[in-house]
Amino acid sequence: MTTMLTSNSIRWAIGSLKEKMDGAASELNELDGALGDGDLGVTLSQGFRHLQEDAPNLPDDVGMALLKCAQAFTRVTASTYGTLLATGMMAAAKATRGRNAVPWTEIPQLLSAALKAMSDRGKGQLGDKTVLDALDAVRMATEGLDEPAAQVKASIHAVDQTMADFRGHPFRRGRARIFGDKGLELDDPGMLALKRIIESLV
Amino acid sequence: MKKILNRTEDYVMEMLEGLCAAHPAYFKRSGAQGRVLVRPEAPIAGKVGIVTGGGSGHLPIFTGYLGPGLLDACAIGEVFASPGVEPMAEAIRAANSGAGVLRLYGNYGGDIMNFDMAGETVEFEDIRTTTVLVADDVASASLAEREKRRGVAGMVYCFKIAGAKAATMASLEEVTAVAQKAADNCHTVGVALTPCTVPTAGRPTFTIGETEMEIGMGIHGEPGVRRGPLRPADEITEEMLKLLLADVPLNSGDRVSVLVNSLGATPLEELYICYRYVARVLSALGVNIVAPLIGRYATSMEMTGMSLTFCKLDAELEALLLAPCDCPFLRV
Repeated sequence: MTTMLTSNSIRWAIGSLKEKMDGAASELNELDGALGDGDLGVTLSQGFRHLQEDAPNLPDDVGMALLKCAQAFTRVTASTYGTLLATGMMAAAKATRGRNAVPWTEIPQLLSAALKAMSDRGKGQLGDKTVLDALDAVRMATEGLDEPAAQVKASIHAVDQTMADFRGHPFRRGRARIFGDKGLELDDPGMLALKRIIESLV
Repeated sequence: MKKILNRTEDYVMEMLEGLCAAHPAYFKRSGAQGRVLVRPEAPIAGKVGIVTGGGSGHLPIFTGYLGPGLLDACAIGEVFASPGVEPMAEAIRAANSGAGVLRLYGNYGGDIMNFDMAGETVEFEDIRTTTVLVADDVASASLAEREKRRGVAGMVYCFKIAGAKAATMASLEEVTAVAQKAADNCHTVGVALTPCTVPTAGRPTFTIGETEMEIGMGIHGEPGVRRGPLRPADEITEEMLKLLLADVPLNSGDRVSVLVNSLGATPLEELYICYRYVARVLSALGVNIVAPLIGRYATSMEMTGMSLTFCKLDAELEALLLAPCDCPFLRV
């Protein structure tokens, strides 16, 4: 790992995701199937497959590389989660456009930009028991850390904590909200997906 | 399901192939998945590009209205489904000559999400874009919540008027402003008598009694304002006129264009029966009808029913409405 976020770091992450996310797909489909349309795992596998195709040709400009990553998810059609991930990546792409290296300490800022864009697009709020809550926890957990391994470790802990905090709370967004009390003890599939993604970066 | 088709999964692609084969002077296939139609001469140097997009099943909306004095490119989705971000970005690129691109389409959540993403994508290529959403269906939300209204047949007026403005080599800001004015001045109400069937679904989108009608139903079968027994043409038209006039009061001397549109199966004869009543009522109010349109402009596959649209005109909108345009489905 380098001391700055570069195109190479993104390439490394894509390789690592490929190895570790395939196994998570069925687990995510199952949890998502209990609450929604059950396509979350498929969305992610398709998105990551597109990422693999693009990885060799990622430009050195971090912003343009992130844009490529976002586009890999816009090619996965008809999935809200894919669209939201792409939205977040595009917001980070805008903030890093024109730079070949970005300090790791900027990660919380990039997450903050991503969160705002995702919340605007999906009309979701913090507290709705969605991936936004987990991302916000990651944003806070990575604050002040300047080294990726420490950020990953803190992030996994933060997502775990958020999932635990929301057990007993109802879903307020998406199809899951129609489950009412039956959804109280279930985890949000989007949060779990984020956890699996971050875990694959260890 | 009783339809003339081959494989349901080929429905949209084969339709696009046919459109291009029939009208090569107006439509050229483009995009990685072939889901974009473009005017062959686009992008036109110095002209603001206008793109639209949406699901199939509504011809001539959306993709039918490409041509001089109209639109430049269109992204096409499956029947009643939004096109993806990629075809939308491809349509914007194809329409862009450097003067910027207006995204002009109906107010539907999926289309908005994808067109916004497409706009963000092309921002990285320094393409300037603006958006105007058409939200003309008076039955879908109150005037106070106009931003929640669905876009229906009023889109035809918006395409025509914005296209005419862009043809004058006006700026992106000017084209956007006049498109917004046209959108604000369009008010539509529909009535449905029978449902339609999305090919991949294989069964009707809703059920309605043999002798029933639903006033205010949307072009995808979204619920309307009232369901009841089918009434004579004049009574149906009267009810629709009341809804429209409550939304856009017309006074003596006002000028308005009127579109009586078939939702698919309703024949021209019945549209003219209704138009006759509209013309009588507006004439009694002292309202002048300009360039009425009667026919199949914005459909919902084989749905039986019609919609009635008012586009209230000022001098600028009227001049643009009457300016020349050319496409296989609309010529001035």
